[in-house]
Amino acid sequence: MTKNMKWAVAPLALLLACGASFPVPTQRMADAESAHRSALELGAASQPAAELHVKLAEEQMTKAKGLIAEGDNKGADSLLIRSKADSELALALAREQAASVETQKAAEQSNTTTVTNASQGALK
Amino acid sequence: MRNVAALTLLLSCASLAACATVTAPQDLVSARTAYDRASRGPAAQLDPADLHTAKETLDSAEKSFADNGDTQDTRDTAYTAERRAQIAESRARALQSEQQKAAVIAQMNANQTATVRTTAAALGRANQQIASQDQQLANERQRREDADKRAAQAAADLARIASVKQEPRGMVITLSGSVLFASAKSEVLPDAQVKLNDVAKALSEQEPDSKIVVEGHTDSQGSAAFNQDLSQKRAESVRAYLVTHGIASDRVTAQGFGPTRPIADNASAEGRANNRRVEIVVQPSTPR
Repeated sequence: MTKNMKWAVAPLALLLACGASFPVPTQRMADAESAHRSALELGAASQPAAELHVKLAEEQMTKAKGLIAEGDNKGADSLLIRSKADSELALALAREQAASVETQKAAEQSNTTTVTNASQGALK
Repeated sequence: MRNVAALTLLLSCASLAACATVTAPQDLVSARTAYDRASRGPAAQLDPADLHTAKETLDSAEKSFADNGDTQDTRDTAYTAERRAQIAESRARALQSEQQKAAVIAQMNANQTATVRTTAAALGRANQQIASQDQQLANERQRREDADKRAAQAAADLARIASVKQEPRGMVITLSGSVLFASAKSEVLPDAQVKLNDVAKALSEQEPDSKIVVEGHTDSQGSAAFNQDLSQKRAESVRAYLVTHGIASDRVTAQGFGPTRPIADNASAEGRANNRRVEIVVQPSTPR
């Protein structure tokens, strides 16, 4: 290798070294997948408020896998951070919806009980 | 050379101006808005822990932006901060729902408890009423049984001193006219008073609500008008005696029938003697 060639290759090697230095975000991927599973288990995919964030999380995970395959671990890491945040929000929204439904059921049951008691003369 | 220095100065100024007006990335702006909204909502009271986490994440994003500018790390951290602020809001709303549910259930339980108490009290009153009615029925049954026994005993006593028959119109006690009265008279003979005393005693043992009719009857000898008058007076005489011996006056009436209701042939002396009589009819007050 001539002296001139060495000067030409050096910046390219440096660039490759920088890209390769960011590890594959394995733990980040596991965290994102775990958060996604939790959201799905609570029925977030079927609740309107949470559904959007479930889809966002899924898209970000899919893109992250593509970036990892291309060697862009840093970009994948970024997407996985966002994916986990969206799954966690979807989970919270699903729990909120479930709590709201339970409250509504209790109120309906209370109304039904009151009406039944009144019709039977128990409250006289 | 002077031109180059001026150009350098101009470029430096432009660069400084650009740095001073660097706008925050959209993710950071959204995160600030989301946190501001969450911190002024119910999350501040109901979910301070998650709100605090959102604040810490937002602070990290702000520091990253201050130190490094609009980098991917800044945007990712801001994105996470926005989601965490939204999570704090959502969990606060969920807690509100759970509190409402708990209040509804508590109210429902209170209502149920009140209903149970009211129903139990009503049931207690009903049971007391039933017990009271049962006692009244038992008392009435006992009273009737006692009255029946007394009536039976009275009837048996009467049977020893007079003819007693049960007819559709009631119990009929027949007393011979010749025993009670002198011929053509309507005053009760002294010897007959003992017998009438026993009759009065027996009648007083009968049901207190029963009606008593004293009927006077004669044979066919003499004028009908005389016999009618005599039978009426004899019936009234016996009625008056009974009233003075314990029978309530409103229970007993007197009626004379003269010779119109013979029970034997008036052609014979024995038949006429049987027709001269006083009948005391005891009519039950109510059918059982």
